Amino acid sequence: MLNKALIENVLSAALTTGGDFSEVFVEDRYTNNMLHQGGRLEKSLSGRDFGVGIRIFKGLQSVYAYTNEFTEEGLLKAARAAAQAIEGNNTEKNIVLPMEKQSLLSSHPIQFMPASVEKSRKLAVLRNANEIVTNYDSSISQAILRLREEEQHVLIANSEGTFAEDKRVRSLLAITAVASDGNDMQTGSYGPGAHKGFEFIEGLDLNHYAKEAARSAVTMLHADPAPSGKFPVILDNEFGGVIFHEACGHGLEASSVAKNNSVFANMEGEKVASDFVTYIDDGTLTNEWGSINIDDEGEKARKNVLIENGILKGYMIDKFNGRRMEAASTGSGRRESYKFAPTSRMTNTYIAPGKSTPEEIIADTEYGIYAKYMGGGSVEPATGDYNFAINEAYLVKNGKIDKPLRGATLIGNGAKTIQKVDMVGNNLGHGAGMCGASSGSIPVNVGQPMLRVSEITVGGREAK
Amino acid sequence: MELTAFRNKLFAEGESLGLTDIELYYEKQESFSCQIFKGEIDEYESSTVNGVSVRGLYNGKMGYAYTEKLDEESVQFLLESVQENAVLIEDEPEEIFSGDANYKEVDYFSPSLSNITAEDKIAFLKEVEKKIYAYDPRVVQTDYAAIQDQSFEKELFNNKGLTLNDRNNFLSIIFSVVVKEEDEIKSDFYFKITKDFDSLHADEIAKEAVEKSLSYLGGRTYPNKNYPIVFKNSAAAALVSTFVSSFSAEAVQKGQSRLKGKLEEKIASDQVSLSDDPFLPDGIRSGTFDSEGVPTRKLTIVENGKLKTYFHNLKTAKKEGISSTGHGHKPSYKETIGVSPSNFFVIPGEKTYKHLYENLDEGIIITNLAGLHSGANPISGDFSLAANGYYVKDGEIVGPTNLMTIAGNFFEVLNDIEQVASDLEFSPMGGSGYIGSPSLKVKHLAVTVD
Repeated sequence: MLNKALIENVLSAALTTGGDFSEVFVEDRYTNNMLHQGGRLEKSLSGRDFGVGIRIFKGLQSVYAYTNEFTEEGLLKAARAAAQAIEGNNTEKNIVLPMEKQSLLSSHPIQFMPASVEKSRKLAVLRNANEIVTNYDSSISQAILRLREEEQHVLIANSEGTFAEDKRVRSLLAITAVASDGNDMQTGSYGPGAHKGFEFIEGLDLNHYAKEAARSAVTMLHADPAPSGKFPVILDNEFGGVIFHEACGHGLEASSVAKNNSVFANMEGEKVASDFVTYIDDGTLTNEWGSINIDDEGEKARKNVLIENGILKGYMIDKFNGRRMEAASTGSGRRESYKFAPTSRMTNTYIAPGKSTPEEIIADTEYGIYAKYMGGGSVEPATGDYNFAINEAYLVKNGKIDKPLRGATLIGNGAKTIQKVDMVGNNLGHGAGMCGASSGSIPVNVGQPMLRVSEITVGGREAK
Repeated sequence: MELTAFRNKLFAEGESLGLTDIELYYEKQESFSCQIFKGEIDEYESSTVNGVSVRGLYNGKMGYAYTEKLDEESVQFLLESVQENAVLIEDEPEEIFSGDANYKEVDYFSPSLSNITAEDKIAFLKEVEKKIYAYDPRVVQTDYAAIQDQSFEKELFNNKGLTLNDRNNFLSIIFSVVVKEEDEIKSDFYFKITKDFDSLHADEIAKEAVEKSLSYLGGRTYPNKNYPIVFKNSAAAALVSTFVSSFSAEAVQKGQSRLKGKLEEKIASDQVSLSDDPFLPDGIRSGTFDSEGVPTRKLTIVENGKLKTYFHNLKTAKKEGISSTGHGHKPSYKETIGVSPSNFFVIPGEKTYKHLYENLDEGIIITNLAGLHSGANPISGDFSLAANGYYVKDGEIVGPTNLMTIAGNFFEVLNDIEQVASDLEFSPMGGSGYIGSPSLKVKHLAVTVD
């Protein structure tokens, strides 16, 4: 990537106007994207992203500059220009990095690097998934399959002596089934992903994932409109955890906590959730989609308990916001690419398992909504107001799953919703997603066992 | 490597490898942004990045690859990837455009905007922030107070001799204001894109930003039912932007649009006309050629409710035996060619926004929509979205509602539009074109209030 002497010179040049911390982030990334749609390979695109981000702190001020330059002259120029934004005294600093890069034994073993595998093998998997989806039912009109692979090689060095390299390898297959009965069109999807190479894609149980996507689309074709009103809501495991990602996760990030722009700011040690809720962010889970060896500031990934039995235990903190909070990094500094300054973000976040079985939770619910598969959502961290879509929902009546429902959106307030969790299941599962925020779009897992919230507002088309 | 040297090497080596047609698309982006917090610079960012995308015909099929590193190693990577991808692709071939005799000559780059110094921009930001705090004691703080300017350059070359270039720049500001009264916290944001820095007035911006957030304090719940709806201009634009793909011939040909087979048919009420104008002086998507090199032109998509055309690129147009409408679009050098509008908007009517609700016995005004990426199905048109807004009784705004959802179907909404106001506004959301709408009055939608 870049040599040590050059990085030392850039780190030093960045501090010439009085900055107290400088950092260089170098990224070289190979990506492969394939789109199989309507029975044929429509897109196959390979690319190489390359760039350098230079960051300087002076107290609570942060300056970031990024470029595709890779010559010493170009990088020094970028570092000096960035330093001009700092209003301080001219100083001479000579940053010296350790002799050896921090050697990292990856906790996430990779078998087949995506760039090393012939694309015809990848196409074979897509064709197989296409077959399974389209053969599922006569109402399936097409399958949309997106394969996304990347090898992201990063080098991170800073004026405090961090000098580390990491390679993140990720693979994801997003399966969407489209079902149509002439007038109406409904979709079902499933998108398994991992911090793994091609072994993950080739080893996927397509009979499960592709069929589930198809089944979901067909089921929704025959679903009734969802009712409106306040109901108990049962959220299934895996991607169901997206509600707590939106409702609590974002509000526990230092990027909103540091400036008191979160309902969870200054609440450490306080009861913020029902006793059933233990919420964890763990970047160390082996080969999971949101896992990392080190974060994008060079800090080792770790397991952070955020809420334990309803008590707020800690936040996810990056270096810059940590300054305002007077708290150390929790290995949570992440960014989409060199085009973004890092900030505190989630990795694999989940609600820890409880004791109830899924059957018990359903049987205990007299009248409510069962959300089997969730779509995405968003939150306004300052207020905690969230919204998210249910992709596949059912009515629950007298302790039994009743008819399927479509078009249901859940809205509410995160701080209130986590106080209303009244049953937590024992079937913890994780789901892969992309999370967008100020430092870009990054891979994260959301997760939980099946759980129940005693009341959430459901917005459907049938006013009730 | 210099771009010209890189291009020459790429074309020469590509031809010797058996690529018949080769295109190089170059994009350069420079940006500056600054965020302040309580009078101090909090984040400051500057960037210069560029990248290239290569397309090439190999054995009659098109392969793609891109890179952000312009070196010799990348030439080899690009050509090998183009070949490997072309061999596998099963889609109908794309073509590389040899060029047109007529390109409009306009430069959308504003030199005066690019001459504004960082100091001036930061001083303006500080002034607005100060006025926001001074405006009302219920202002807690700003969540964002930021200014950004961006400039873009694109160049398109192919080995048939085509050379085109275009550039654009704009400045944007965002102020998100958090207000608090007793235990109730509310927040909304003010966003503006402009090419004219002098048109920004600190007092007006502070007033509008704070009043927007304050207007949501004191929210109440109302019965869940169907209400007549007025979409405020920016919310209407956000709704339209979510369903823009339905107007793309690509979606139509793939069976992913409900507008399939509806050309020359009524798809909206008489009040609705939609226009795409790539030459809007202030349009952030203004340009004289599209991503395939086809000259752009102004187009009426819907005229008094009747669908006149879809958006086409070369490939979709060829399938129907017509010419491209100049809507071939590559969101960046990292993507392949698709279809997208440029500056696409609902043509404004004559009534004021106030006129839209002052005759309502009861109704809801929607000022803000959330969850557009998840709560809407761009294919079926179904949506159930989180919304903020106000309750209207006897023609007067009574006050804000609690968080709501509104549910319905976009294609039904198009037919249910009863009035179109004159206050055209463009949405900051959406990657699919720069989408605008005036405020719209819709017959009714299902509303659920938290």
